Amino acid sequence: MEDQADDHEGAPELFLFLASTAHDMKNSISVLSGTLEGLLGGADDKDVNHPAYPQLAQMLYQTKRLNDNLIQLLALYKQVGKPEYPFDPRPQQISELVQQVASQAKVLLASKKITLQADFSQEMVWTFDEDLIIGMLTQAINNAVRYTHDTIRIVVAEKEGFLEIRVEDNGAGFPQAMIDAGVCAMSGNTAGVNFLTNSSGLGLYFASEVAKMHKYRQRNGSIHLENGGVLGGGAFVVRLP
Amino acid sequence: MNHALTNALHPAAVAAAANIDWTEKRYLIVDDFVGIRQLLRETLRNLGAKHFDQAASGGEAMTMLGKTHYDVVLCDFNLGDGKNGQQVLEECRIRNLLTPSSVFLMVSAEKSVESVMGAAEQQPDAYIIKPITEGVLLTRLNRVWQKKQIFRQIDQAFVEKDYLRAAKLCDEQIAVHKLHSIDLLRMKATLLLKAGEPDKARTVYEQVLDDREYNWARTGLAKIRMNNGDHEAARQMFQGVIAENRFYIDAYDQLATAYQLMGKLEESCDVLEKAAKLSPNSVVRQRRLGLAALKLSNIPLAERAFRKCIAIGEYSIMKTVDAYFGLARICGQKNDAKEALQVLAMAQREFTGELVQLRAKITEGLVYHESGDYRRARKTGDELEDMLNDDPERPDTPTCMELATLLFAVGVKDAPVELLCYVTRNNHDNMVLLDEVQGIFEKARMGEEGAELIKSARKEAADMMNKGVLLWKTGKLAEAVAWMRTAREALPNNMRILFNSAQILISYMQQHGYQRDLMDEANDVLMHVDHIAPGQQRFAQLIEQLALLMPRKDPPPMENVGVDEGGGE
Repeated sequence: MEDQADDHEGAPELFLFLASTAHDMKNSISVLSGTLEGLLGGADDKDVNHPAYPQLAQMLYQTKRLNDNLIQLLALYKQVGKPEYPFDPRPQQISELVQQVASQAKVLLASKKITLQADFSQEMVWTFDEDLIIGMLTQAINNAVRYTHDTIRIVVAEKEGFLEIRVEDNGAGFPQAMIDAGVCAMSGNTAGVNFLTNSSGLGLYFASEVAKMHKYRQRNGSIHLENGGVLGGGAFVVRLP
Repeated sequence: MNHALTNALHPAAVAAAANIDWTEKRYLIVDDFVGIRQLLRETLRNLGAKHFDQAASGGEAMTMLGKTHYDVVLCDFNLGDGKNGQQVLEECRIRNLLTPSSVFLMVSAEKSVESVMGAAEQQPDAYIIKPITEGVLLTRLNRVWQKKQIFRQIDQAFVEKDYLRAAKLCDEQIAVHKLHSIDLLRMKATLLLKAGEPDKARTVYEQVLDDREYNWARTGLAKIRMNNGDHEAARQMFQGVIAENRFYIDAYDQLATAYQLMGKLEESCDVLEKAAKLSPNSVVRQRRLGLAALKLSNIPLAERAFRKCIAIGEYSIMKTVDAYFGLARICGQKNDAKEALQVLAMAQREFTGELVQLRAKITEGLVYHESGDYRRARKTGDELEDMLNDDPERPDTPTCMELATLLFAVGVKDAPVELLCYVTRNNHDNMVLLDEVQGIFEKARMGEEGAELIKSARKEAADMMNKGVLLWKTGKLAEAVAWMRTAREALPNNMRILFNSAQILISYMQQHGYQRDLMDEANDVLMHVDHIAPGQQRFAQLIEQLALLMPRKDPPPMENVGVDEGGGE
């Protein structure tokens, strides 16, 4: 711990420079995705049939991926899962969680003509770090956009004393390599062949770190990927104690 | 249950559920990046908002906040040069530019360390991470609004310093608002501490920790142990919290206090230095670090801390004259009297008031003395001595002690002795402070004589107090009230005399009924104690008893009252 405390002392100016650059990049991406959402969200029936519309939708999708990746890189740089990371679990209303995740994804899903379903109990309350879980689920939805046919479904329920959140889709399901990458990420086995070569590797690693940070009475959170569920496609599953 | 998202999650539906209309509110957007300001304006427009202004810097935001009342402030933490978001918030709160119903949202590019540091004295209503979407913004606004409803009466009772009533209100809210139970319990523990009920506060912390490990609750428990004098146990607990979460700055500040109480000044200073490294932009912490380093004669560290304190203070409402005086002393010790005097001149330009003038004069004398200009030091000392002879009023305790130090150093004897006896009489049972007084005597090579003087000054104060207690015990309440007035005149800042005065006034009214003038007198006495020594347990207990005496229909229950007895030798 002592060593980490002094991590940035060697080059405090470089650290400040990196921090302010990251801040700048976040601002630029915020403006980019906000502008695209404004354009797509304000489109009328005629605009939707314009040949540029799906290209604009694809731009938004890519911008969101860029944002996810940047957040993850920053978070990993700041050492998620270590005592250094500002972890802040609080009791949260599940309906508010779903509402916020849905609002983050709304324009992207509409522009891709994907329906979002939600299945949760209105009164349910659970303790977790809201910003981290919103980030993880938004990213799971962005990922599902790639795999789904036309529907994504969020299911939140209590199961065996855990809060289980599922992001399911009705596509062809994840390839086995992806599912294995999920297992590798959880076990911390970064030597897994598919883990580092797979473009979802960073996201899965980040999600598993966030899940593991959630601890309650000797039990830890976890994530995994599977196929099946109500919609029969792929499913990203996170369980929080 | 399957929700069609278009309905259940539509902003309008959420807003209706929260029962508040955000469209007619007045908004202020503060961000140094024009693109973000435009984006936020669009977002607010989409929520139906009609009235919004924007500011590109902290300074501009302050000007606007000073002119217009805003219901919602969306302020970026990172605002480039000048004030940052935290400083905007601090200044708003201290200048009362926000009403209790205003919402201050701190915006940041990434998960904010500040939100969990437990360090910032002024917390925003919520933190929100970019990119901000309508849904998230609306959810957070509604949540803050709901929380404000739940805390409204509690906050009101808090402002009125009616802590026990506020704690009872917390219990009522906990019963119906499970979602906010943790925040309510945290508030309840704080209130119980303020009300002088540490045992009850401890129970609350233990109850919270029984369910889950929260840094603030563990730190709270440790603070209670520290106040009970169990400094070593507290030290271990604070260090445990830091091991769990290196960013929990409050634990560092408390750990430094624990070391200080154990007399380990070097360790205390080390901890403050670490805390200041992690969270350098706190005027209060840099000031504390500077003063600790100055005491240890760690000149480079003290200089860095005071200079930083002055630099961040430039844009902060928390700026303190102590940093200027500290820096002047450092310059003097480095034999740079010229810069020391410049710093003192700056202090007198930036701050006003008689006490500042006096302290500047004292510091000037100390600077001359420490830099070897004994002639000028003596001249300043003589001026100050004349001033003491002309005016019977005495400044606050730390100023008295610095003044005594200077006067001894320039060879004056009677005036500093008189000052230190005055300090002793007013703090006759504060052993840590009396040790410092003894230290000043020893430095003046008056160790033995000083010990005798301290002893007799303590006795004088204890005698005055005991006479009041005796009158009270023998039922001569009217005489006790009158005697305590005399005692207060002689020892205007003695905490125990002040508390006993209030207690005897209350006893008198409990026997003879409410009297407006006595009520005001007791209240003035209590407010004076809370001013010189904020947050005492007895303060809250006496305020509580005083409140019961206010005239009303049903007679108040008789409380068992006790006057603090004896003390001193």
